[in-house]
Amino acid sequence: MSPTRSVVVAAALAAALLAAPARAAELKIGGTAPDFTLPAANDGQPVTLQRLLTTNKGVAVLFIATKCPVSNAYNERMAALAKEYAAKGIAFVGINSNKTEPAAETAEHAKKHGFSFVVVKDPGNKVADAYGAQKTPEVFLLNAAGQLIYHGRIDENQDDAKAVRSPDFKNALDAFLAGKPVPVAETKAFGCTIKRV
Amino acid sequence: MRAVQRLLLPAALTLFAAPRGAAEPVKLLRPDQYRSRIVAAKKGRILLVNFWATWCVPCREEMPKLAAAARAFSSKDLAVVLVATDTPKTSREVPTFLSETKVPFVCWQVRSADPQLFIDAVDRSWDGTLPYTLVYDRKGDVAVRLAGAQTEASITDAIRIAIGATR
Repeated sequence: MSPTRSVVVAAALAAALLAAPARAAELKIGGTAPDFTLPAANDGQPVTLQRLLTTNKGVAVLFIATKCPVSNAYNERMAALAKEYAAKGIAFVGINSNKTEPAAETAEHAKKHGFSFVVVKDPGNKVADAYGAQKTPEVFLLNAAGQLIYHGRIDENQDDAKAVRSPDFKNALDAFLAGKPVPVAETKAFGCTIKRV
Repeated sequence: MRAVQRLLLPAALTLFAAPRGAAEPVKLLRPDQYRSRIVAAKKGRILLVNFWATWCVPCREEMPKLAAAARAFSSKDLAVVLVATDTPKTSREVPTFLSETKVPFVCWQVRSADPQLFIDAVDRSWDGTLPYTLVYDRKGDVAVRLAGAQTEASITDAIRIAIGATR
């Protein structure tokens, strides 16, 4: 690479890095998810990942929002999946990392949409940073050892649950529970950017 | 297919002929058309492509900054194209937003049953974050990627880098 080209590339890289949103350590497939203890949005009681892992076959961590239209498009689907898979040994935990959505609003939203799973607040978006979560909704599915086995979207069709052709998260849950490899372990979540501090 | 071609051919011909200050009708864009309809059509100019959605508040807030940054460059040097990633449910809001805010750029509307197909067709390193901006040099190579909401200054810097990359 010529010196001129190197300078240009370096400048472009610097500009891109300066402009990019905060991207902390990203959790990779097979990597061990950082533990967390966060306050439940409704009563402030601490919720600890490690405790959920030790009492379930796996844990689905969902970064969600109250105001994001894309996240809200999945409310019914998230509620239904949590109910279905809780009976099969998968715990769901919703994490709201948005600085713009306080605990009371988060709790009310969960209640309104019939979430049977616990929803916690992530003050300072520290857990979102630790996981490398960028959007809502964004899913991280962990096995009982806390290893990431699926990361990404719920499915490809935010508009119409009945027209979904690629239920990636559900496929991952089913494969995991059947003791099979997750067919597509990583997809690109598409939604609102997490509103960080 | 012919109906789509009838829609897209005049759109392609007028892609960079849009007068600044007047919003053009939104045209449909499939993943496989991105390179040919958007990137290859820029005819030796720097090309800035901004991916956005009406439901994306940072995208909407960024739009005036994008317009302000682009005003500093001649349309002979710089082409700006918007690509709305709204789904069919919200896509009707795209022309309304563009008209109300007097956004002076041509806008295309993604038509893809699976958003990831489009994201990967555009840039495999793009994780789907919106807004997302790619600035191409005159040869059609990506010079700068901007993920997340930008300032007028950061957009201006990116355009300058792209201009410098092909001097």
